[in-house]
This record gives sequence, structure tokens and C-alpha cells, in this order.
Amino acid sequence: MRHTARRTAAVAATALFLVGCAGEEKKTGDTGGGGASGDPIKIGVAVAKTSNVALLGQEQVIGAEIAEKFFNDKGGVNGRKIDVIIQDTAGDENGAINAFNALIRSEVVGIVGPTLSQQAFAADPVAEAAKVPVLGPSNTAAGIPQIGKYIARVSSPVSVVAPAAVKQALKDNPDIKKVAVAFAQNDAFASSETKTFQQAVQTEKLELVTVQTFQTTDTDFTSQATAINAKAPDLVIVSGLASDGGNLVKQLRELGYKGALIGGNGLNTTNVFPVCGKHCDGILIAQAYNPGYDNPVNKEFVTAYEAQQKKKPPQFSAQAFAGVQVFVEALAAMDTKEKLSGMKLPDLRDKLNAQIIAGQYTTPLGPISFDPEGEVKQAEFWVARIKMGADGKAGEFTIVP
Amino acid sequence: MLQKLLNGLAIGSVYSIFALGYTLVFSILRVINFAHGAVFTVGAYLTWALTGPQVGANGALANSQLPVALPFWLAAVLGALGAGLLGVLIERAAFRPLRRRGSDPLLTLVSSLGVAIALVNVIQYLVGAENYSLGTLGGSVSIAGATIRRTQVAVFIVSMIMVVALTWLMNGSRTGAALRAVSEDAVTAQLLGINVDRLIWVSFFLSGFLGGLAGTLIGMSVGIAGPYFGIAFGLKGLAVIVLGGLGDIPGAVVAGLLIGVAEAFVPGEYSAYKEAVAFVVLFLVLLVRPQGLLGRVQIQKV
Repeated sequence: MRHTARRTAAVAATALFLVGCAGEEKKTGDTGGGGASGDPIKIGVAVAKTSNVALLGQEQVIGAEIAEKFFNDKGGVNGRKIDVIIQDTAGDENGAINAFNALIRSEVVGIVGPTLSQQAFAADPVAEAAKVPVLGPSNTAAGIPQIGKYIARVSSPVSVVAPAAVKQALKDNPDIKKVAVAFAQNDAFASSETKTFQQAVQTEKLELVTVQTFQTTDTDFTSQATAINAKAPDLVIVSGLASDGGNLVKQLRELGYKGALIGGNGLNTTNVFPVCGKHCDGILIAQAYNPGYDNPVNKEFVTAYEAQQKKKPPQFSAQAFAGVQVFVEALAAMDTKEKLSGMKLPDLRDKLNAQIIAGQYTTPLGPISFDPEGEVKQAEFWVARIKMGADGKAGEFTIVP
Repeated sequence: MLQKLLNGLAIGSVYSIFALGYTLVFSILRVINFAHGAVFTVGAYLTWALTGPQVGANGALANSQLPVALPFWLAAVLGALGAGLLGVLIERAAFRPLRRRGSDPLLTLVSSLGVAIALVNVIQYLVGAENYSLGTLGGSVSIAGATIRRTQVAVFIVSMIMVVALTWLMNGSRTGAALRAVSEDAVTAQLLGINVDRLIWVSFFLSGFLGGLAGTLIGMSVGIAGPYFGIAFGLKGLAVIVLGGLGDIPGAVVAGLLIGVAEAFVPGEYSAYKEAVAFVVLFLVLLVRPQGLLGRVQIQKV
């Protein structure tokens, strides 16, 4: 008897679930449009809230949430509120595709996301097919804006940012001759970034003594560190994410490496501090964001972030903020020309895409605009040096003048 | 050469004690406890929390910390004990109810996997996905021309002490004798007056203790790389017990060291493929010895 009751309940629950899904399905299509003038405008954010990429994704969520509050406090889109809908992509390609689909179904005007370049190559075509504008907040591999007409990014590609760090290392020590490179082979971004670094090494006429590989999931780097030290390089360049890259640095230093270190964009987060501790000290990292950058929107962003998180905002938060900002300002510019509330959703998305490319934006990253393909044109870059405190726990990115 | 051997033994020794946790449970119940990787993770986080650091900016416990700040060695022991208790809880929640109903042992594979996923998510919910550092044993030592990190030496020594202690427990104590009797034939052991339920409990505790300690040791060596960092070890541990012979304790130790050394001998340029190498070694050995390195051929009793 009990079993029957339980089974009935299970069947009922399943049925309810299916009905719920069907109900949601019905909402798709182009009925939404610009919506009633009082409804908030939905902007989607698809980033990794879970998985081993969550480290970066969580920072992006904070950036997007601060942007939502910031622009709503300033009146949203000409008086209409924005509603930032955050979907978790987890760390893989399927998760990103699912999150994109879910956001498109809930009738967002555009999407900021996903976290990884690897995910962008899988999920961006979904948005392209649905004609939904996408702004990549942290996709820096080559070829992202070229995925399609509706794909743009606020994150400058590595080919532009990375060589600055090599130049800085040579400025610190002109005697650098031998360079070792290590990169995470299972990550599209790190593989793309390492090519840029290796090119920069050639351009500067340095000798590339060894190229070591690892996986972002690796923790034990003694073989790589031993092999690198055996070549006695003056500079080691690491392209990976925070925990693997940080561990490689730590094990390299503990095994006696004394030379200069450059970290790729994946190490551009305060999350490397607990990983390599005092050994993080001195790592050079080229940055697309500087928390100390002097413009009003960045000052307000930094203040809001610090109040919440008690630390300086990382690049990932600033870029997510900039992504939301570009949508808001492009929408406002459109609304001034033609009321959004009168537009059908597909029409609105299409015009929004054109407006994004046409506009200029003063963001926490400095002034940015886009080329016709959707590639970001950023005015300024920085090279930061990690400075660890005496206890080896707290640290900061100090911008090299 | 010596350098690579020592690197391999250091990481391999942790594979060994981690895999011993699988082995203990398998030898008694003939099932794999998939939650073992999560217990490993919890062990590391417990030790970390007991040393009294502040939780990072994400997660429900953001910016809070325990009122105590224990010395590392004490935190490591308590963390491992906590992981042992967690092992017992997992047995109560995911194994015992299914066993009582006489369900297929395969089902516990799924229920323990469920526990693993839940645990990892709870950790992320509470303390976020940040990296945390554990222990402060820095620097390196020279052994016959090879440079070894101090943490590697410590990890190896602690692991080997655990192996010796467990071997003594299994072969030199009454509990060990009873455990071996149950793994031989649970029904007969029960008829002989051995409390099988209590021994299952004991094996889960020991398994959790070893898993949690392995987590702490790895955390000490490479930091805690977020709630997912035990997953890779879960897989590696499976390879180790299969290679060593399912349920065979010396086999797990030898296989752990062997896989560690095999990985260390992969040339640096191909290090990204070192896991593939480990699994190829596993595959080749199984072709020749399907019962594993030290495992016995299972005789089908009719």
C-alpha cells in the first residue's frame, strides 16, 4: 500500500515536472519583444558558478551583480530597470550550451558569457543561430568574434596583451637569454596564449630552451619543474589557470628556480595567492584591467566591489561589469532613437547587435569600442607584478609604471 | 633518474594510502565506495578549517573562521578522524539501507557516487571554489644529487608510517584477524560469532581516515584546489586497486608506488599525457595478469 502511494506520488511529480517544462517551452518565440514599458529588460549572464572553473565564474557573477545594481540605481535604460539573469554554465561545453539555450528561452536581449574560450567555441554558435548578441567577458583566445555576426567580446585577445609582459621582463633584466615555457594543453585559451608568448620570445630574439605541458586538473608538477630547472632558464612563462599555474610556480621555486616568471591571463586573479603563497612574489602578468585606473566609473565599481568583498576587484569581475555595461548603454542609445517597448524581440536583438558595434563605452577597463567583426578595441594595457606580504598569505597586483 | 624515482615515490605513496581506503571497503563488501574521493576532499578541508584560517569571499560561510587555530599536525590528525567518522556516516546512509534490503551491490555504486557529488557541492556551497593553502613546509633538500621538496619527503614518510600501521593492524591484531575472516567469507565469520556489522563500520572508519589523511597530505603539498580536487584522485585510486589486485592490501601499496613512478618517468614535454601513461601501464598489466599484480585468481565456487 505504502509503495503504491509512493509510486503514485512519483508519477504525479514527474508529470508535474513535464507539464512545467512544456509550459516554459510555450513561452519561446517572438511574443516578448521590447515588452511593456514597465517591465525590466532581461540581460543574460552565462558563466561558471560551479565546477573547477567556478573560481573565475564566481568573480564574474559578482561583477555582473554589481553592474545590475549600479545601472539600476542610475535609472537603468532610460528609466526602465534591467534584470540580470545569471545561468550556471559549469566548466564544460555542454553546460555552456544548456545555459545559453535556457537564457535564449527566457527572452534575454543578449548574453554576457561564457567564462572560457573553450566553452565559447561550443556555445556561441547556438546564440549566433538564434540571432542573440553575445559579449564574451573573458574569452581571449584567437577566433572568438569570428564565430559569427552576433558574437563580440570585451576581453582583449592574448595576442595584444601578452607580449607586454615579455617586454617588461626584459626591461627588469636585460640579460635574459634562455626562456622556458609551460602551458595547460587541455585548455583552448592556454594553448592559444602560449603561441603568442612563444612568438614574443622569438621576436625578442631569445632562446626557447624547453616547452613543457600539463593539464589544468594536474596538481603534481615535480616532473615539469625538474625538467625546466635542468635547462637553467632565465625566464619561465606559464599559461594555465590559477590552481595549476600557481602550483607549478610554487614547485618550481621550491625546487630552486631563481629567475624571472611571467604568468598568463589565467593567473591574473588573487586566487593564485593561496596556491603559491610567498613564491607568487614577483610574477609579471599583463593585464587588461587595473583596479587603480583613474576614471569615474572604475572608481565607483572599485568602491562597490571593495565594500562587498573586502579586496580589490580582479579583471574577471571588471570585464563582466563591462559586458553588462555595454548592453545597458547600447540599449539606452537605441531607446533614445526608437522606443524599445514597441519592438519585437528578434528585431530588438538585431538592432542591439548593430548598436553595440557602433558605440563607444567608457568602462572600468578604460575606453573601449569594437571593430566590425566584434573584436574589442581597448585603449590601455598594464603589466602588473605580484607583491606578496611578509606572511606570504596576502598579496596584491601592483601596476608596473 | 634518481630525481624522477624520488618524485614518483613521493606522489605514489599517497596514491597507495588513498587506494588502501578503497581496498579495505572492497575486501569486506566487494563494492567500490565512490564517495572515497569526496572523503579525501573533506579531510583536506577539515584540516584546513581546524588550523583556523578565514574562509574566502565566496560561499555561505564567507569571511568567517573557526574560533580555534590548532597546530597543523593536530589539525591533520583530527581532520583524518573526522573523515573517518564521515566514512561511517556514508556507510549508514548509502550502504547499509541497500544492503539490508539485499539489493545488488552495483546499486551502492550509484548511491555512493550520489553522496560524493552531494559532499562536493556542500563544500562549494559553504566555502566557495577558492584555492586554499595548507601547511607551510617550504624549501627543498638534496638527496644524492637529486633535489626534493621538503613536503614530498614529509608526505612519503607519513604515508609509509600509515602503510606499516595498517599492515600491523591487519596481521597483528584481533580486529585485523576478524576483518580478514569477514573478507574471506562473511557468512561463516558471522556464524563464528564475529559481529560483521561492527567490522563493516570499522573498515569504513579506517578507509575514511586514510582517505582524509591522503587529502591533507596532498593539500599540504599542492594546496587545496577547490572542492573538485579529489575527483582526479578518485579515478587514480581505482586504477591503483585494479592494478594491485582488488582487495589486496600489499598489492595496493605496490601499485600506488608503481603508478606514481610510471607517471614521473614520462618526459616533461609530454607530461600532459602522464595520466594516459598510467592507464596504459594498467591496461598492459591486466592483459598479462587479469587478477592484478598481487591479486589472487577468483575461484568460482559452485
